Amino acid sequence: MDLEYWELLTGEAIEEEEIVCRDIWVVAEVKDGALTPISLEMVGKARELAAALGAYVQSVLLGEGLESLAQELIHRGANGVYLADDPRLVEYHLETYAEILSGLFQAKKPEIILFGATELGQELAPRLAQRLGTGLISDCLDLSIDETERVLLATHPVYGGEYFHVSTFLGAKPQIATVRPGAFRLPFADEYGSGEMEKIAVNLEGIEGKVKVLSVSTGEAQPQVPLSKARVVVAGGRGLGDAEGFALVEELAEALGGQVAGSRGALDEGWIGQERQVGLSDVTVKPDLYIACGIWGDVHHYFAMQEAKFVVAINKNPEAPIFKVADIGIVSDPKEIIPLLLSELRAG
Amino acid sequence: MRAIVPIKQILDPTGFAVHRRLERIFINREDYIINPNDKNALEETLRLKDAHGVEVIALSLGEPRVDDALREALAMGADQAFLLTDEAFAEADAAAAALILAKAIEKIGDYDLILTGQRAMDTGASQIGPRLAEYLGLPQVLEVREVSGLSNGKLRAKRNWKGGYAEVEVGLPVLLSIAPQANEARYPHGARIMNAYREWEISTWGLADLGLAEEELSPLIGLRRKAFPPERTFGELITGAPGEAAKELAQLLREVGSWKLESGG
Repeated sequence: MDLEYWELLTGEAIEEEEIVCRDIWVVAEVKDGALTPISLEMVGKARELAAALGAYVQSVLLGEGLESLAQELIHRGANGVYLADDPRLVEYHLETYAEILSGLFQAKKPEIILFGATELGQELAPRLAQRLGTGLISDCLDLSIDETERVLLATHPVYGGEYFHVSTFLGAKPQIATVRPGAFRLPFADEYGSGEMEKIAVNLEGIEGKVKVLSVSTGEAQPQVPLSKARVVVAGGRGLGDAEGFALVEELAEALGGQVAGSRGALDEGWIGQERQVGLSDVTVKPDLYIACGIWGDVHHYFAMQEAKFVVAINKNPEAPIFKVADIGIVSDPKEIIPLLLSELRAG
Repeated sequence: MRAIVPIKQILDPTGFAVHRRLERIFINREDYIINPNDKNALEETLRLKDAHGVEVIALSLGEPRVDDALREALAMGADQAFLLTDEAFAEADAAAAALILAKAIEKIGDYDLILTGQRAMDTGASQIGPRLAEYLGLPQVLEVREVSGLSNGKLRAKRNWKGGYAEVEVGLPVLLSIAPQANEARYPHGARIMNAYREWEISTWGLADLGLAEEELSPLIGLRRKAFPPERTFGELITGAPGEAAKELAQLLREVGSWKLESGG
């Protein structure tokens, strides 16, 4: 809110100290030349919080040639976007990114800063919180404003999501949070939305990246259809016992024309790569049919697959939480069920 | 070369049950374990000890019972352990914990590597590593799945990156956070466990030893309340023999959608 207007409205002069720390900032991420979904999800949530605070939503982009992305942030609800446009920022380095962001935050004094709970957010948010002498709440699934105290309330999972803590900031500003990808809906784009873009001076004298990237490997082959867009996803977890058991998941996926995915357990066992991990990763799936084989179904998994239209769970353990989100459950060993199911499907 | 590994002791999650409808947590058995991911960090450091003769120092902040976690670290192969305990540390949040650990690391001094787990299982946070690195002015490499080289004051590592991994090189000293899939932590030998209790001395440092004042540790984050995931409604359960269940499921799948089936296959 415009502070002069506020003064006029209330007849109160605002003290110098009070006029800092108002806006909500979203640190947007660029991947392969596009904004990541989490960047837009955060802008959407920031708008809601801004309405409660009477504040603006600001965003910041680092890289090169960013105007069209900035425009998209504005269409999705940002009031302003700061652009750190410089060839030296195309490649991520903690030292340069942290220098730009900390300089900006110290100058503009945001009330709240949101990062994605992504590789980038996990690199930057705690370092900046430490540099700015403030608190950070990680991996938030929900955010709201306590309007009586004007503080951010953040819901985040503990013990892998067995339950949640609703935590708050005890006075330090800015209030920094990292937000779980997929926790909030994508905001609608408003082509008429307007906002300001401002290029900031990029001064990186004496600052250089200390970690040299020798090579990047996409590692495991990427799925042909992105997992997030697959109509059918067959996912396996630790309950399959071994790689041979997991091969059944691949066979079922092939038979149904779907994609293979896996839980955190399957990743840890080395059956899948990170790009096929549902839960605790950037992957969110929304298939028409989701078959979970031998997956326990913790809350991370749930958040990543909750938008699936029809969920089938096959698990030996009747206590597995996956059954609570399944439309159809079979309490039995998936290694026994899948071959039977395959022959039924092929016969029919 | 010297490596410092801060480890966290947490309540064993298999010892409690969360009741969503009653919104209560029932503790059946109060046991404490080393945060599993911190064990991966310890294991990775012990491998550096085996391969390069790195001296391994374990460090833990918490109540006096954390002594057990440090004995376990010694039994696994750590060379020295420090317990950071003080009544003034009880309310420490991430920022305060990082400050306490950083002061202890400075006091130990002369380190080349700091290895932490990527994530604490209890809080789900992954703040301590980067906060330590920031305080100590170190570069960081997070989510390391393999330390692939250590020579001439430089370290090479493979870290998870954008669905694959990146191999990076960095000068020492450096802070690493170790991904859970990096390794399988070793089990200590029985005799070493006994020795860890009989023969090893664990140094204990408090507020004054670290040159800290209580005001420096005021928490920045506070817990308002606990919340519980909603109780979800059960779907339909197919019971009966596996053959029958598979048949019923196949039928249902045909009803909910016309899935393209591989012919014959």
